[in-house]
Amino acid sequence: MVVVVDDSAAAISQYEASVRSLAVDLQSFRSADAAYAYLRDNHPDLIFLDIVMPEKDGLTLLKELRALPAHRETPVIVVTSKDYAQDRNVARELGAREFLLKPLRSREIRALIEQYTGAEVHPLPDGAGR
Amino acid sequence: MSPCYLRFWGVRGSYPAPFATHMRAGGNTSCIEVRCGEHVLICDAGTGIIPLGAALVEQDAIRELAILVTHYHWDHISGLPFFAPAFTASWTLRFFGPGKNEAELAEALAEQMRAPYFPVETETWLADVQYLRPANGAVVHGPIRVTPFNVHHPGTTFGYRIEVAGRTVVYVSDNELLFLDEPINQRLVERDLDAGEHELLLRMKEEEKWASLQPFLDADILIHDAQYTREDYARKRGWGHSCYIDTVNCAIDAGVRQLYLYHLDPSYPDVQIDALHRDALEIVRRRGSDLRCDIAREGLVIPL
Repeated sequence: MVVVVDDSAAAISQYEASVRSLAVDLQSFRSADAAYAYLRDNHPDLIFLDIVMPEKDGLTLLKELRALPAHRETPVIVVTSKDYAQDRNVARELGAREFLLKPLRSREIRALIEQYTGAEVHPLPDGAGR
Repeated sequence: MSPCYLRFWGVRGSYPAPFATHMRAGGNTSCIEVRCGEHVLICDAGTGIIPLGAALVEQDAIRELAILVTHYHWDHISGLPFFAPAFTASWTLRFFGPGKNEAELAEALAEQMRAPYFPVETETWLADVQYLRPANGAVVHGPIRVTPFNVHHPGTTFGYRIEVAGRTVVYVSDNELLFLDEPINQRLVERDLDAGEHELLLRMKEEEKWASLQPFLDADILIHDAQYTREDYARKRGWGHSCYIDTVNCAIDAGVRQLYLYHLDPSYPDVQIDALHRDALEIVRRRGSDLRCDIAREGLVIPL
């Protein structure tokens, strides 16, 4: 399962479009608090995390997640428009696997899912995946 | 003076500019005072907070202050080691700023006052130091209600939407506007982009722009980062600050009534600030907007 945390509806649409024909369960959240509530009890294979969101920012969420024993090692890919060394350093200290700049292409999203979920991604008939 | 007003105590970004050529705009770094009756709220503690602190101690009328820091870069906290109320017994200082909890905020403020950086630590403050906790997403100080929001600047950085005396003042000292335009434009010309992805990228660009304007919508007063000319911004893209042209255009798009160009570059003398202001007014005229646009000048008082 893959979780996306991004306040941008268009960005979430892109993640959804990227995995539409793949056997991947995608859960998306447009705020850090909503994502945290879900992630307390759920353990995805991979999290795509935006930084700049209106209320709590993504790096604060990542810090909170790392404080939960179940999420100390969860693979997190930061996908952001913040191309600043300070944010890169914080993300690295918090164990983010990648720090990538927006916008990603759909093929890059698919490649990252394949790489980080560790499972082969099986194409499904049109409309069968999310 | 009106019982409710806003005053600029420091308008420069990055570092102080105590030069004769800069004095009409002023040389101190970020600090504004919002006063409503017996309540004083201070945004940022750059060197501008030093003369503000001296004035408050001299007035000796209000001994409880709320101090909201947008982030902890030096130009926003370097006045604190010289802020007289902190070293005066029977004063109460209530701080708020980015951080997971009060301990993180206290640590960020204390760090710059430790050896070898400074000889006097925050432990020597005589004031009662407290930390404000947001409730329902807002910080309240008497009749002043403040909603923090995240902006585009290195590290966690807040802007503040301040509701006071029936007016809305939005304070955004450091913010890089339209940060996604360039990377999305680069993607849009990639040859293998299909129509669906092209459409999504255009939507993303538009959505990010409006998301960044959301906190400014219909503000009576917007105080916003306008650090660079177009030429300097081209060299300093990704430093977390805006070109004044983008600031003016975004203020018009957001329906702001009065814009103050703020966080002025310390290398710009008054003649350059004047030229930048003239151009800003020309943008407003060309767009047929009724936005009022001024330079934030140290000492300027705006009745609320």
